[in-house]
Amino acid sequence: MPATVSRSAPEERLVNLVVALMATEQGLTKDTILSSVAGYREQLEAGASKDALEKMFERDKESLRGLGVPIETIGNRADPDDLREARYRVPTAEYALPEDISFSPAEVALLNIAGGVWGTESLSADARSGLRKIRALGIPVDEPIIGYAPRIRVRDASFAALQRAIEQCRVVTFTYLRPGEARPRERRVQPFALVEYEARWHVYGFDLNVDADRTFLLSRIVGDVVLTRKSFPAELRAGAGERALDGLRAVAARQRALLEVHPGTEAALRLDRRAERASQGIYVPYVDLHVFADELASYGPEVRVVEPADLRAEVIRRLEATLALHGGAA
Amino acid sequence: MSHDRPVAALDRAALLLQLVPYLLGKGEVSVAEAAAEFEVAPDQMRAMVERLTVIGLPGERGYWQLPHDLFDIDWDLLDRDDVIAITNTVGLERSPRLTAREAAALLAGLQLARSLPGFGDSELVTGLLSKLARGAAAAPAAVIVAPGPVDGVRDVVDDALRAHVAVTFTYRAPGAEPISRTVDPIKVHIANGQWYLQGWDHLRQAVRTFHLDRVSDPALTDIAAVHGADPVPELFAPSVDDEVVARFRFPRAVAPLLSDYLERAEIQDADDGTAVASLRLADEQSLKRLAARRGGEVELLEPAGARRAAADWAVAGLAQYTHGS
Repeated sequence: MPATVSRSAPEERLVNLVVALMATEQGLTKDTILSSVAGYREQLEAGASKDALEKMFERDKESLRGLGVPIETIGNRADPDDLREARYRVPTAEYALPEDISFSPAEVALLNIAGGVWGTESLSADARSGLRKIRALGIPVDEPIIGYAPRIRVRDASFAALQRAIEQCRVVTFTYLRPGEARPRERRVQPFALVEYEARWHVYGFDLNVDADRTFLLSRIVGDVVLTRKSFPAELRAGAGERALDGLRAVAARQRALLEVHPGTEAALRLDRRAERASQGIYVPYVDLHVFADELASYGPEVRVVEPADLRAEVIRRLEATLALHGGAA
Repeated sequence: MSHDRPVAALDRAALLLQLVPYLLGKGEVSVAEAAAEFEVAPDQMRAMVERLTVIGLPGERGYWQLPHDLFDIDWDLLDRDDVIAITNTVGLERSPRLTAREAAALLAGLQLARSLPGFGDSELVTGLLSKLARGAAAAPAAVIVAPGPVDGVRDVVDDALRAHVAVTFTYRAPGAEPISRTVDPIKVHIANGQWYLQGWDHLRQAVRTFHLDRVSDPALTDIAAVHGADPVPELFAPSVDDEVVARFRFPRAVAPLLSDYLERAEIQDADDGTAVASLRLADEQSLKRLAARRGGEVELLEPAGARRAAADWAVAGLAQYTHGS
């Protein structure tokens, strides 16, 4: 904060800036902005250093871009890299919701349900803010869709950082612990999509350590996800959600376990829905050996793993460890 | 939602940008209604509106911000009736585009909503998906929610909800014999890919929660669902049946995997990277599945019956692999 006193609140300056930049066709230079837009002008007149005010303008510009306000920089035609004479403007067509987008009352009712799926997560505030913008179009709302409360939960601390990295097309690094590996390893990834599959969040992207697409379980990320300064082309994100889902489904199609399940048990209830009948027992596809072994171990005597051998071994290992920890004579 | 959380200047600026189109769309709106829409306290809404009236165009050199260069409101109406009406605008008339994150949050929610009976791949959903993508200021991060398998039980429950009639079905509670139930449906919850029905149970004469995977042979009745609008508790809220106090120890590193339990537990951290959770349960048998799932990481401490149950559960599970295989 500069030492000069500013009577207006920073949000006034920010909104004044948006209004000024939207009202101009040819754009305003930085000098014009600092000497005329309320919020800067008073500080300039009160003797604040131009340098400090220019920095404030740069910060404001980036903050507003973060809000989705499309601030355009029109450079010098002769020398586009010379920003001294650059002009700034906000094209109305890109700022506002397109005129040809309207929402029917039924659509708004469905969006209200869609916006309500996030419990207390930060995405909940984003969803409500998005809904507010849509409701402000003055659409009459259908009767609310009652009787349904769909919820999506995000428990993984890494979710927010990964979402930001995807939006900004930035390479991330994180520490990843694969079960069965003695120590966690550092991964360097171009993240493309976040995917909830069978109630677990995954991040799909290009793993720069192995030069191939990979899918990671968020629950195995240890510590913080770090956004590096290195970015990647946004085109790489195109269709990433579908590619990630196809990848997970392909893995599930490749890997299936042969199980014997006792009828009428919790295991039968949970597994039958995903199962295909075998001549003896059922086949159940799975995406991750360890995640599936966790689930099967929880069923105890209700299910027996016939094959594959590695899954069977993992289930036995969990049951033995449970017994050892609870004072049983293994 | 707390009304007095400190909002950063940028968040307040974002609200002001949304406020103008909202007020224009409303014509006249009470301070209370606008405050509720923007999730702020009424006096904060009043302050926001007053702030708006000092914002406007830069004006011409020497004539800074004449009245018509500023947003303005009907002050009499505000003072007299606590009603907001905007009388002059200098821009911002149409809603801003959605931010990438707002679009992502709604798009992901929509993917889950399409698993509700009757929505599926309807034109309504596909139309909305493209409108949201087009209405975003920047490409939203792909946040994808893969729908789980669905079955006919959901459709019957949906029919009952819409027709406001009771539904009958066979219900198989964990460790119990199947029993026929008649229920006035109130609300269907989808959480972690699992579907639950909250409804008024004619047998127990009270609201109960039913896991839809445990439901079979559902059928509509012609009994009016008199309790179909009864208040329901939060899903998984502790109930009066939770009489057992249980404690378990776990490594803090695996806490995110246990959040279903930890959310309603009291947690005490130890120095060695572990913690102990205490919680109330209906039945001391229920934690053995958790202990086996986390094989060797979660140790049940109390009650002794829960410890024994976990050991027995593991022994019975292991027996399948030692006898004749």
